[in-house]
Amino acid sequence: MFANKRLSKELLKLQEHVPPGVSIAKSDNLEEWQMDIKVLDDNPIYQGQTYRLKFTFSNKYPIEPPEVQFIELPATSDTPRPIPMHPHIYSNGIICLDLLSSSGWSPVQTVESVCMSIQSMLTANSRNERPPGDSDFVAYNRRRIRDIPFVYEDDNV
Amino acid sequence: MAQALKKRGNELYVEGDFIGAEDYYSQAIAKDPHDPTFFTNRAVTRIKLEKWEDVEHDARAALSLYGKKDPASLKSSLYLAQALLALNRPQEAYDLTIVAYQFSLEVRNVQTEKLSGMLLRAKKALWEARETARLHEMDETLKSVEELISADLMRAEKELGDQLAKQEIGEVGYREDLRALREDAAKKVSHVREAFRISSKGDIQERVVPDYLIDGITFEVMHDPVITPSGTSFDRIGIVKYVEKAGVDPLTREAMSVKDLRPNYALKAASEEFLTKNGWAVDW
Repeated sequence: MFANKRLSKELLKLQEHVPPGVSIAKSDNLEEWQMDIKVLDDNPIYQGQTYRLKFTFSNKYPIEPPEVQFIELPATSDTPRPIPMHPHIYSNGIICLDLLSSSGWSPVQTVESVCMSIQSMLTANSRNERPPGDSDFVAYNRRRIRDIPFVYEDDNV
Repeated sequence: MAQALKKRGNELYVEGDFIGAEDYYSQAIAKDPHDPTFFTNRAVTRIKLEKWEDVEHDARAALSLYGKKDPASLKSSLYLAQALLALNRPQEAYDLTIVAYQFSLEVRNVQTEKLSGMLLRAKKALWEARETARLHEMDETLKSVEELISADLMRAEKELGDQLAKQEIGEVGYREDLRALREDAAKKVSHVREAFRISSKGDIQERVVPDYLIDGITFEVMHDPVITPSGTSFDRIGIVKYVEKAGVDPLTREAMSVKDLRPNYALKAASEEFLTKNGWAVDW
């Protein structure tokens, strides 16, 4: 498969240019990358914060989506990274976003475009809350992210 | 006895005293030249000291003590490849790493990732060598100027080596100065190339593959472009895999099947023409 080649090219492009508010935090192998994102407008929920996204690629990438979730680094570390508040982001970092599911993914998406989609998902949000059933989901979910049957009917958040 | 010397070497290594550690590993090897770990430990210490010829020697010694079928040898392959790249022998580094990489994949060794990274580095070094050869072929003057820069660098490196031998400078200063010299030479080369590129009015160009020839799925130059019902072209291999699995157009998400893909002959002709003039783009 072409996963490695494609990822090394994506990396080359990202090293030349990253979109505003996005930066590479870790990309020393072609299986897992970490990206830092910031919300650029003055949305008070995300002001002054940086968030860390973890991308895990299978060897079927980009035919299959990468697994993408937020990860938390403690507030006491040099680079504190909380999990952003959002009605589609669970407190364990799992993101409910159509384009990351097997059925919503398209191979023309890239790490860069996924970062930008998540950025704009945060920018557009005005509700400082977790998804309904957050604590149960965090306690009981054992499925892989792309296999979770999220409902995407709520398109206005 | 030899093990105790190795242990002392390890302690010094952890403390950052690489010269001391190297000495203890050498003593351990003198006592027992059949333990490959003495050689691997000295190799990694010598990597820190940037003594690349010595790294090569130690890594090869460890490799022959381990034999070909021992996964523990993979670390040594990595050290050897690193040394060969530093010694400007990318082809050897590549040949060696690709074998080690395949073996590491088979036995699912933890070194696979690092070996894959090393492969990319070796490939890049190979490409740089080809690129230099190509530029020199195109312009004799550029070649002469770059050879002057490189002769200059060799002379300066030799002077520095002599100073080290006469103990006018220490090991650490030597390595720092050496690195500065090399960086300086690389900068000069890139400036010269830039100047030649501007004056050549486009003959000597940065090589860029135009976006319209790059497949949006594999990110490679399209060899066999096909067009979807929504009007976008992809290289056949990637889009067929995707459509077989998803049954939709990757841009519009409308239902489609592999049979809806049509060859895009115009783009194929453009791609072939580009590849004929720019053979390098095949492994871009």
